[in-house]
Amino acid sequence: MALFGSNRDISLFRHVNRELMGNVISQQCVFYKHNLGKTEVNMYGEATEGRFFHNPVLLYTLVERQDQSYQESDLGINFAWNITFKFLRDDLVDADVVPEVGDIIMYQEGYYEVDSTNSNQFFVGKNPDYPFTDDNGNNPLNPGLEGFGYNVSIICNTHYVPADKLNITRERL
Amino acid sequence: MANIPIWNGTSTFYPGDTPFGFYDNDYEFQQDADKVAKFCASRLGYPISEIELQSGSFYTAFEEAVTVYGNELYAYKVRDNMLSFEGLSTGSALNNSIITPTMDSIVRMSEQYGEEAGVGGNVDYNLGFITLESGIQDYDLADWAVSQSITGGIEIKRVFYQEAPAIDELYSPYAGLGAGFGFDAQAAALGSIGLGYGPGLNFLLMPLSYDMQTIQAIEMSNQVRQANYSFQLINNKLRLFPIPTDADVADGGYRQYLWFEYINKEDRTNSAITDGATKVTNESNVPFNNPTYSSINSVGRSWVFEYTLALSKEMLGNIRNKYSTVPIPGAEVQLNGADLVAQGQTSKEALITRLREYFDSTSRQALLERRQAESAARQSEIGQVPMQIYIG
Repeated sequence: MALFGSNRDISLFRHVNRELMGNVISQQCVFYKHNLGKTEVNMYGEATEGRFFHNPVLLYTLVERQDQSYQESDLGINFAWNITFKFLRDDLVDADVVPEVGDIIMYQEGYYEVDSTNSNQFFVGKNPDYPFTDDNGNNPLNPGLEGFGYNVSIICNTHYVPADKLNITRERL
Repeated sequence: MANIPIWNGTSTFYPGDTPFGFYDNDYEFQQDADKVAKFCASRLGYPISEIELQSGSFYTAFEEAVTVYGNELYAYKVRDNMLSFEGLSTGSALNNSIITPTMDSIVRMSEQYGEEAGVGGNVDYNLGFITLESGIQDYDLADWAVSQSITGGIEIKRVFYQEAPAIDELYSPYAGLGAGFGFDAQAAALGSIGLGYGPGLNFLLMPLSYDMQTIQAIEMSNQVRQANYSFQLINNKLRLFPIPTDADVADGGYRQYLWFEYINKEDRTNSAITDGATKVTNESNVPFNNPTYSSINSVGRSWVFEYTLALSKEMLGNIRNKYSTVPIPGAEVQLNGADLVAQGQTSKEALITRLREYFDSTSRQALLERRQAESAARQSEIGQVPMQIYIG
């Protein structure tokens, strides 16, 4: 049996994370999950009729902002702002949200489309979702390994999207 | 997703919530347990910050604090009274006993000196004798002990080998011939001081000092003018002076046997041990139980609360210190576990020191010294009052 990173330890980390993100840092964003069922696409896979999203979910996050940039092109000046949103994976599990490319995050009245997601921050290098168990549910080399390790975060790299390109209207938030 | 609950601000104590349950049935302990938990959590920062402890953690610390308080208290009592406790029956607890010092242990400790001085003690003196032989000056008493089947060796305490008492010669009806040795001495002694009387045949009423002087004269004469009866004893080998003669050791003779007192060395070694079953033999079996929480006064309880806080702080520090860093999304943070452990340990040491100083300042010795100082100060103060002048 592994010794470090048990469920109890992870529970402590979870408490610390939620206290830190919820009570100390307290940065929030609104997550709009793409509703693929309602979004109609043409033969090229383009959502010509507009994009539809599930109801928004308010989440604590750690925000890493890059500098805003203003790029000139033949069409004028573009506004660009890339932001990285770092979520505690347990919060997403509780909210039943799986971030994917194309989802929208609202932050400071701006909308940011997810370009990529990363979920590779594992405590003691173990992801408890892959315990290599046999038919009896035990790891043959290390029984109980599924109770160790921690998949800490999901990190979303995003870019700014003008609001008029989205089918999102702020109603309650 | 296992989620271990942490302190949420409230708790309800039930008997059985502490590891040992020493005080669980004490009503006041039950009442204070939840208050102490709240006190400690608040002092640790709740509700501003989360406290990764449970109510059981606080109860555990609380129980330990009361136990440590009792340990310190009764250890102090033992320190102060061990001489009186040693040998006491372990039958009943002493928690509520008033202890009156006794001399028992002092007397017991002094027995060794009495034994060496031959005036008491705890080792038997045995009597033995050897038969002297004419012309033999040296006698090995160790060999004698072996011949008597005495194991472990003997130590000679006293040898009865000396001249006949001078008084024997003084009152001899044979004017010094009675013991066979006194005549010359007596005649010489008395002759030397020119009295002309037989020493024991004087029927005049003489002062006692006369008899004393005569006895001393006989003794000195025996010592100086005759072979002094003496011996040398080294490593249980006895050398006699003078060498016994045929007349000395003749059957029924005055020195046919030489008597001596001795102890078995094993007896002295064994005298150090007394069966102490059911008796207090050391600090560990002085019959003190855990204290009764409801009997601890507010001074003591205040200490208990502070010590509970120190323990809680240390416990929380250990929890936060298991991993030096804790992962957060995309980064790591360092918790204050090490600081908490250090603070907790420092607080514990300070509290223990404070408690011991408090107890030591109320020891019997300290109280008597204080009383003595008070008395001296009082007398000095009274001495400042001007003396009245009496005019008769």
